[in-house]
Amino acid sequence: MDKKYGVYICEGCGIGESLDVAAIKGVAEEEGYSCKTHPNLCGAAGVDFLKKEIEGGVNTLVLAACSRRVNFDTFRFPGCIVDRVNLREGVAWSHPRDKFPPLTEEQKADADYYDRVQMMAEDYLRMGMARVQKVTLPEPFKLEKISEKILVIGGGITGMSAALDAAKAGYAVTIVEKEAQLGGAALNWRSQLPIADPYDQLIPPVVDAKIRAVQTNPKITVKTNTVVARLAGQPGEFTVTFKKPGEKIEFDVPYPLPPEMRVDESGKELDAETLNKKYMEYNEGRVDILTLDPNGELFGAVILAAGWRPDTIEGEAYAHLGVGQSPDVVTNAQFEAIAKKGKIVRPSDGKPAKSVVFIQSPGKDADDSDFDFAGAVTSLVSLKQAKYVREDYEDGKAYVFYQHMRTPGLNENFYKSLQQDPGIFMTKGSVLNVSKNGGGLIVEASDTLLGKQLKVKADMVVLAAGMVPATKDDPVVNMAYRQGPAFRDIALFNGYCDSNFICFPYETQRTGIYAAGAVRRSMTTEEAMEDATGAALKAIQCISSTNRGVAVHPRSGDMTFPDFFFQRCTQCKRCTQECPFGALDDDAKGTPKPNPTRCRRCGTCMGACPERIIGFADYNIDSIGSMVKAIKVPSSDDYSEPPLRILGLVCENDALPALDIAALNKLSYSADVRLIPVRCLGSVNVIWIKDALSQGMDGVFLLGCKHGDDYQCHFVKGSELAGIRMKKIGEALASLALEVERVGQFEIAIDEYDKIPKIVDDFVASIEALGPNPFKGF
Amino acid sequence: MSDSYMVEPDVGFIKDVMKLGGQDLKKCYQCATCSVACPISPDNKPFPRKEMIATSWGLKDRLVGNADIWLCHNCGDCTTRCPRGAKPGDVLAAVRAYAVTEYAVPKALGKMVNDPSKLPILLAIPAIIILVVGMLTNLVGLGWLSFAPTGEEIWQNNYINNYLVDIIMIPTFTFAIVVFALGLKRFVADIHANALAEGKTDKQKIEPVAFLQALVRVVPTIAKHNRFSECGENKERATAHMMVLYGFIGLFIVTACFFVAEWVFHIEGPYSQINPIKWLGNIGGIALIIGGGLMIAKRMGQKEQTSSYKDWYLLGLVMLLGGTGLLTEMLRLGHQYGLMALVYFLHLIFVWSLFAYTPFSKLAHLVYRTVAMTYQEYSGRK
Repeated sequence: MDKKYGVYICEGCGIGESLDVAAIKGVAEEEGYSCKTHPNLCGAAGVDFLKKEIEGGVNTLVLAACSRRVNFDTFRFPGCIVDRVNLREGVAWSHPRDKFPPLTEEQKADADYYDRVQMMAEDYLRMGMARVQKVTLPEPFKLEKISEKILVIGGGITGMSAALDAAKAGYAVTIVEKEAQLGGAALNWRSQLPIADPYDQLIPPVVDAKIRAVQTNPKITVKTNTVVARLAGQPGEFTVTFKKPGEKIEFDVPYPLPPEMRVDESGKELDAETLNKKYMEYNEGRVDILTLDPNGELFGAVILAAGWRPDTIEGEAYAHLGVGQSPDVVTNAQFEAIAKKGKIVRPSDGKPAKSVVFIQSPGKDADDSDFDFAGAVTSLVSLKQAKYVREDYEDGKAYVFYQHMRTPGLNENFYKSLQQDPGIFMTKGSVLNVSKNGGGLIVEASDTLLGKQLKVKADMVVLAAGMVPATKDDPVVNMAYRQGPAFRDIALFNGYCDSNFICFPYETQRTGIYAAGAVRRSMTTEEAMEDATGAALKAIQCISSTNRGVAVHPRSGDMTFPDFFFQRCTQCKRCTQECPFGALDDDAKGTPKPNPTRCRRCGTCMGACPERIIGFADYNIDSIGSMVKAIKVPSSDDYSEPPLRILGLVCENDALPALDIAALNKLSYSADVRLIPVRCLGSVNVIWIKDALSQGMDGVFLLGCKHGDDYQCHFVKGSELAGIRMKKIGEALASLALEVERVGQFEIAIDEYDKIPKIVDDFVASIEALGPNPFKGF
Repeated sequence: MSDSYMVEPDVGFIKDVMKLGGQDLKKCYQCATCSVACPISPDNKPFPRKEMIATSWGLKDRLVGNADIWLCHNCGDCTTRCPRGAKPGDVLAAVRAYAVTEYAVPKALGKMVNDPSKLPILLAIPAIIILVVGMLTNLVGLGWLSFAPTGEEIWQNNYINNYLVDIIMIPTFTFAIVVFALGLKRFVADIHANALAEGKTDKQKIEPVAFLQALVRVVPTIAKHNRFSECGENKERATAHMMVLYGFIGLFIVTACFFVAEWVFHIEGPYSQINPIKWLGNIGGIALIIGGGLMIAKRMGQKEQTSSYKDWYLLGLVMLLGGTGLLTEMLRLGHQYGLMALVYFLHLIFVWSLFAYTPFSKLAHLVYRTVAMTYQEYSGRK
């Protein structure tokens, strides 16, 4: 595309009053751009004006107006490259003239005075103009052949519901179930929790109706007694090999070498060839991930509904609850099995269990959280099973000792209806112990609502065991990915399969694989059914996005994808290893093999690459590097007291919105910083920082999402990786005799806009204390 | 490790309390809004939160002998603020009704008083007693019961002789006193034991003299209805309650005066309408009717509060007592003697019922609440 440039400056929203627009225009014209101003670019007249310009041949527009986070649809012109220079939020609003006064006429006459805010606006325009020279219009990545079929792993309530929903939307679905029949955990229940208004009674399990619906649906194929041996490829063309449970086949997924096998005696990483040899030995009998199964079945997207198993409560830690001492102390799953068989009887002697105590928390420590893997479901199940006792025996009594009684949503109605039963007794309390009392048991509890330490006689004691996700025990999906067959880092979520439980339900760390139901967190049938719908929609979104060659999530619709200049690749494998989504598989030599439809376009690979051979059409090493170089760094040659220049690379997911909100609230920060939005801190390549410092800028800071166990990073690992890289850059700076403190990284959440001025100004003050960059002016 | 309390829920007790007006008790989820809302609950171990859980767990022993249920004046502040509609005020009222029947002997009579289907039998008892004893006096020649008296100035005495009334009412009144006395003996022991067990008092024993001194200190509080006035909801109920209470006290004084006049000075009625005692009687009767009427109107208009049989029984009795008393007087003054005799007969039935059934009915609160308040004063519970 032959670029024809046009620079347009908006004078509305306070820009015209705050800034010398004519001078800014001069900056553009000085560099040979045609530049026009308009009183209100986003108005109908302004948009018409821009359209006329486009008709006149302009195809690369630099709009110096408001933040790119607003009016993005107004300024979307198909076939054109548009850059948004943020004069409104970034300059005028965040640097109001009452705090940053303009130069007086006298000062203007003196060349040693400068207007910091005007300098900022002019720099931002230069940066915008530099960027548009280095970017191109993206073209979507399209697969040659695409499968629109959806694979559902798990034939329980969740899997069947997801399959039915996807089938209803017109998609062909295959369910794989490892057991001999469909149904999953729900097959073992006597009754289930309500799923519809008025939510106050137990209902017969809905699983039978689901099974019939699945079996009669022509769009659904069911494979029982089947598991996934490997899932290779990428969304839109996943190649899946099935097998019988327990079978050993050559397309069983290979495992990466454990870390201790990757190094030699001295702890040094082995070379690629040796590593590959060891890897092949380690996975003997299994073919490498890059070999596709010629008999594999193609799928577009996967719904992971592998479900759960009841937790076992065993060992010395639970001895005080009578575990292992009396057969009448059981888990809720064992109790359900007894209830499913008939009237509730004691396992020890088969006598009616008319007094049953349900224990929700083990009563071990001050915190006394529920049993592992418990949640609202265990609370609700205790209520359900208390009702069984009352159903079976007119004079039955059920006690529930809880620390947390969770009955979310309309399940409150169920709780209320159970509460009304005169034979059900509930209290908060810490269970101290369960002891034998003749043929029965005695449960002792303290800190109860009854105000005293108390004891109750029980025929049986039921412990609220939690729901262990299938992904805790087994990779299940068996991805033929270089990073391994299982989901990474799910230990953070107790083995539940989730990538970011705060913002993105269903999303796993692998694009195209969506988790639903109890594999995601402990949940009720009703929640699992709703979850299934969500995951089915995500799978459909994935297929249709892949079809159009755009990103699925969270940069939905992004047409760019990482482009590799392989001639210069040194096979260092950093991109493969650091990609948070396992999008890259390297070959035996270590050359990365991109899987564009697995990619989320965060740019972490671009940030990782030491050779700087990875980039996107509109976001690459050169585009950002040129912006950095476009910033004017005044030295003592220009002014007797030149201002500092500090570069801020800000994450566009949380930090940039927070900056805009700060500007909206008239919060201001130093006018000596120049901010560049980045896709993710993970995409920050250290070369930009080196460039900035070597051209005399005094400091560089990164502003991004929180990381750690409760990370808020949209790309899971970006801000964490940036932190690691910043630590490493410190050594390089030291060798240049630059202080490591010149580079900083700060965390911010989207709602912490009020903290921005302090973060920025404190950093500026710390740089001021260090003094100007010694390289300035060279 | 401290001693554990063996909990054995009494499901029958829960069901009984539900029937007595506490049908929502199980809705409680122990947020304790009630204890905070209650203007008269003490700071140490406040009610009614703990009573609510004890009731829903069927812990009869911790409720029946608990003075706190009587400290409650059922103003309804808790019920209004209860987020679950558990109506703690009504639950406590129901628990009190249950407690009354626990302390009054014979228990069977207590059950009958709280059972609407037994009301005809209960009312038939005094009717039969009056008629049978009256007939007996006729048989022995006293002639205290007459169906068609003649004379210049006819009054109810001509039909049902005052001596006949008195020889029936005095033993009945005595019976009530004895029932109360027997109940109170256990009641005081129980509330003290409960207070000790729950740490609500530091007094180890009950000193009779100090206890009576406490009673003297409590009487002005009751007389002025100070506790009632602390309530947010139903404040105006204090006035109605005061009218009924003072109506009863007035009528009790009048009855006592005429009893003395009859038996000591042998002054026969009917008394002049300008006799101050007569005035007191009339004012008492009117206060009873107005106070009772106000309470009925309030209960009818009150959606929040549950009104059960025990409440209507007492209000009905108040209205009928006042109504039949005043109507008897008006019919006599209007020379409608036949009708007067019938209404008077009904009046006597209600008076008898008042005496005989008070220890078993809601009206027993007059004794139990007074004692509980005295105990609170005595034990220094704050």
